[in-house]
Amino acid sequence: MNRKTDIVVVGSGLAGMSAALTAAQSGKKVTLLTHGAGTLAISSGCIDVLGYLNGVRVADPFESMATLPAEHPYSLIGGAETVREAIDWLKSVCRKGGIDMAHAAEEGNHTLITVMGTLKPSYLCPDSFNPDCLKDVHRAAVVTVENMKDVHPGLIIDQLHRYAELSDKEFMEAVLPCPIEHAHRNITPLDIARHVETPEGMKWLEKSLMPYAKLYPVLLLPPICGMKHSQQIWNQLCSALKVKIIEMVSIPPGVAGLRMRDVLKKALNAAGVYMVESAEVVRAEVEEGRCKTVHTLTASGEDAWEADSFIIATGGLLSGGISTAPGKAWESIFQLSLDAPADTEAWSSPDIFGSSFFASMGVKVNHELKPLNGEGNVCLDNVRFAGRVLGGYDFAAEKSGNGVALATGRYAGMLAGKE
Amino acid sequence: MKRRINPDKCVACSTCVVQCPVAEVTSKFLGPRMLGPASERFRMLNAGEDDSLSYCANCKNCDISCPQGVEVSNINMLARAEYCRENRPSFRDWILAHGELEAKLVSYFPSFLVNFGMANPISKQILDMVGVSKKADLPKFASKQFPAMFKEYKQPENLTKRVVFYPGCFIKAYAPQTGMDLVWLLNKAGYKVEYPEVFCCCGTPLYTNGFEADARKNAVKNLEELAAWRKAGIPVLSLCPSCQLMFKSEIPAFFPDLAENMESTALDDAMEFILGCINRGELDISEADTSPLDIIYHAPCHLRAQGIGFPGLDILRLLPGVHAVNADAGCCGISGSYGFKKEKYDIGMAIGSKLFDTIKDSGIRQVATECGTCKVQIIHGTGNPCDHPLTILRRRLDKKTTK
Repeated sequence: MNRKTDIVVVGSGLAGMSAALTAAQSGKKVTLLTHGAGTLAISSGCIDVLGYLNGVRVADPFESMATLPAEHPYSLIGGAETVREAIDWLKSVCRKGGIDMAHAAEEGNHTLITVMGTLKPSYLCPDSFNPDCLKDVHRAAVVTVENMKDVHPGLIIDQLHRYAELSDKEFMEAVLPCPIEHAHRNITPLDIARHVETPEGMKWLEKSLMPYAKLYPVLLLPPICGMKHSQQIWNQLCSALKVKIIEMVSIPPGVAGLRMRDVLKKALNAAGVYMVESAEVVRAEVEEGRCKTVHTLTASGEDAWEADSFIIATGGLLSGGISTAPGKAWESIFQLSLDAPADTEAWSSPDIFGSSFFASMGVKVNHELKPLNGEGNVCLDNVRFAGRVLGGYDFAAEKSGNGVALATGRYAGMLAGKE
Repeated sequence: MKRRINPDKCVACSTCVVQCPVAEVTSKFLGPRMLGPASERFRMLNAGEDDSLSYCANCKNCDISCPQGVEVSNINMLARAEYCRENRPSFRDWILAHGELEAKLVSYFPSFLVNFGMANPISKQILDMVGVSKKADLPKFASKQFPAMFKEYKQPENLTKRVVFYPGCFIKAYAPQTGMDLVWLLNKAGYKVEYPEVFCCCGTPLYTNGFEADARKNAVKNLEELAAWRKAGIPVLSLCPSCQLMFKSEIPAFFPDLAENMESTALDDAMEFILGCINRGELDISEADTSPLDIIYHAPCHLRAQGIGFPGLDILRLLPGVHAVNADAGCCGISGSYGFKKEKYDIGMAIGSKLFDTIKDSGIRQVATECGTCKVQIIHGTGNPCDHPLTILRRRLDKKTTK
């Protein structure tokens, strides 16, 4: 079948959802095609804007943004002002959906605590992740749930003590009894968060934390304070127990990422975005530098999706937005070739935390996020790229993944919405 | 020959774990990633089967959410078929799998007797003892089933174009009027409808309950008939998302040898076909009733898995006076016969609670969905009226039907 709409967005990660919601809010008819649920749902739900620059920790990401190279996505879309606007917009979307994001830290980035006992710079986090209150106290309990996978207070405390700013704090291990009996699988923070969303789960958590709340002014928890009503549950626990609770950033499934995705998905539906799942875009019809249709694969052939403009937020190598073969890399839908070192050995770096081509390969775009050919000219006039499919930055080394996804997705949606 | 799906596309990202409706409400289920691709590696070593295999509802939300294109649910269903070759499924599962045969038997008796026979407290207790939950509302047999109804119906003469209808067993036994609504609409659009009685159950309930050989027999019969019509260039339409999914992607996955001789084993979607009729001007909706009607639409998981959007919702939105919203609240929890099973009933209801709450909170009475068992579950969970989008379309177009 062939269907027509104003704007087609491909991908339902943070970039695609931000683009689709922004375009729909400006009055456009938007179809969102997605193959898989994107990575937001398994992520931390925190927005890392810029954590490191050339390997050095950044205090204020917006101050440092001015020093980024011209081809960095932030520089292309107008720098700090554009990125700040996107952050404020996401905060308002989250607030409407029931999640309050914390105020920015005084120095710029928050220093979030992870369930690995590491500290991680991030600009925007839910209230419940804000670690500021730890600065004013000397004692805190590190809490886990019996048999919970990947959250081990002993390890967390050992790790935290290696940081100068935390080395003199007194941390205590606390293990809550598991509220889920006869589980047939490893219990994760997501299982407990879902349980806490129920009235009996909430009662269990309040009761189990009570003895520790009497001894410690701050409790560090895995992200288990509910799902849809996490904000209310966290508020209620803090005030009932007269304690500050900090949720720690967890590994996938990250819980807070799913909370945020559910909020965005609901907002998309309310804004009238037509979201088609199981829709893998395999090719596009292009005529004289303009995309006419993108095509999804179905069991009985192909469906064509026509639009005035397209926003491609298909992710990187792992999500399928970028394809590779030894010595070459290309964007998957339009087969735009990417600058790649001919020697594949040079794609990776011996320093696993350093910058690498694998993490930075991507589509070259202009300041409107339209793709450029080898000569530097726009090659698809009604197509914009957003999120990890973009080149010019290293999300892993910089800690800027969700920040770039949000800011470029929002910006692409704004530009397409104005046309 | 044992058929295997290579599990190595799975990168263990846990997206399916987060999106699985069963894992969300019960920790008795190992979860899609572990039961699917992870356990598959052990199955290759003949290392035994996991106890929670029967907890997979085959709702397909793992496949829908997987960014890597792993057929998680098909891995699980192939494993179940393999397990059931050695371990006979229960009598209860036989009953739930063979609804078509039961429908055929009861068609010789008056439906009020049959339904009384099924729905009275004593029968419910007996069904409960074999493992069909007495709390569940089983669908009721229609007083006249589709084959009889179709035979009696006089289609207008002089219709030059032809289509074939594949009703599937739910419409055949429980919702024949929905099938007749489609026939009425197709006639109005200028199509004569053929219904070959040789078409039988698509095999979904058989395969998911462990009756692989029965499912295969049906597939052979259905594909043979489908091929004949395809050769004649006449489209074969289906109204049921689960039947469509079986033909489109499960038959090629479960019985690749049957599918390999056909270019495509897919049926055509009746909703897409009707939408095409409207767009081509064959079906005129300008005379439709314009009285205001709010509708809340539920997209069946097996439709979402097909990646074609929501043609049924598109049709509703074309109708003047109709305001249709998408509930977008995930799985209803029934998954064919899953939610009728005694040990799964509460799981199904817990899964569906999000959808039930969304419907109740919307304040909208009229619910629409394409899937027959989703409809049963929605009515059971909310008490609201729930109809197929095409039934609503007919009501708005047919001056003779009572509203």
